[in-house]
Amino acid sequence: MQKAMRAIGVCCVLALTMSNLAVTAMAAPTTERYLHVKVDDATKGESVNVNLPLSMAAAILPTVNKGTLHNGHVTIGEADFNGVDVRAILDAIRTAPDNEFVTVKEKDQDVRVAKSNGNLIIHVLDKSKDGEKVDVTIPMKVVDALFSTVKDNELDVAAAIRALSDAGDAVLVTVQDATEHVRIWIDSHSASE
Amino acid sequence: MVLLGKVALGIAGTALAGVGLICSEGMIEVNVVEKQPEAHHVYVLAPAMLVPIGMHFVPSRKLGQAASELKPWMPTIRAALEQLRDGEDITLVDVREPDQHVVVTKDGGSVVVDVTDKDETVHVSTPIRAIESTLEQVAAASPDTHE
Repeated sequence: MQKAMRAIGVCCVLALTMSNLAVTAMAAPTTERYLHVKVDDATKGESVNVNLPLSMAAAILPTVNKGTLHNGHVTIGEADFNGVDVRAILDAIRTAPDNEFVTVKEKDQDVRVAKSNGNLIIHVLDKSKDGEKVDVTIPMKVVDALFSTVKDNELDVAAAIRALSDAGDAVLVTVQDATEHVRIWIDSHSASE
Repeated sequence: MVLLGKVALGIAGTALAGVGLICSEGMIEVNVVEKQPEAHHVYVLAPAMLVPIGMHFVPSRKLGQAASELKPWMPTIRAALEQLRDGEDITLVDVREPDQHVVVTKDGGSVVVDVTDKDETVHVSTPIRAIESTLEQVAAASPDTHE
């Protein structure tokens, strides 16, 4: 009888602990995500750091109605797509396994487009005097969100920002040339590095 | 004597409540220190509420163009300031040049701008609520609002 009472007691304590943990987890505030932009110019000794909470970007974008940006959507002219069905291409990329889709090697430029670990990767190397190197890594979820609008000639930037908030820490863009280094990334830290 | 005490207490209480009301939107702080041999130091600490109150006395026609240009952006400004007010403290912009350093931060309920260059250091701290109230006042002066 005593053993049974002890077992019931232990079960009660365990149940209380688990429910407390569950309540704590549910009540935990969602971590704010930040978009960081850092530009360094070593030759001029200049640096620019911009830190922007993604929640702020998500709140601001739908309120901007100017030029091609309306309610968080950017309208793109037919000419910008050059008759290419971007949605069909993205569908094909989404369903395809990790692979290198485009590799262009020219005398003064290398371009590479690939899909790896759920990210769309674009790599451009300019072999001219400045030797500019551009790396873009975009989570496929963000690309999907960008093209999630009903209209064919619109990009849903607000949805892309929301998708970025849900994505993990990631370096989105790096640009390196002879003098400048640009880095755009997202993480949960309010300060740059 | 007791009556005099009550009157004094009433005046003091009213003055205290007035000061409390005026300071309720926080304080604007401006601190400029020159680095010249004859250094000048300017320090101003003023109740932020005075700025939107002061805007009432600026004739609408003087604000006409600024108000018209500002008005369409008010939803964006409101959203940005609301997010800024509710968010964590953060360094929004940090620009370093060989002879100048500019930092814009959100600190508590204020936006703080610090500029340090070879000639002077400037520190300006403005409560977000005061920025919002002032911009609302300016936007309200738009001719479209009165039509």
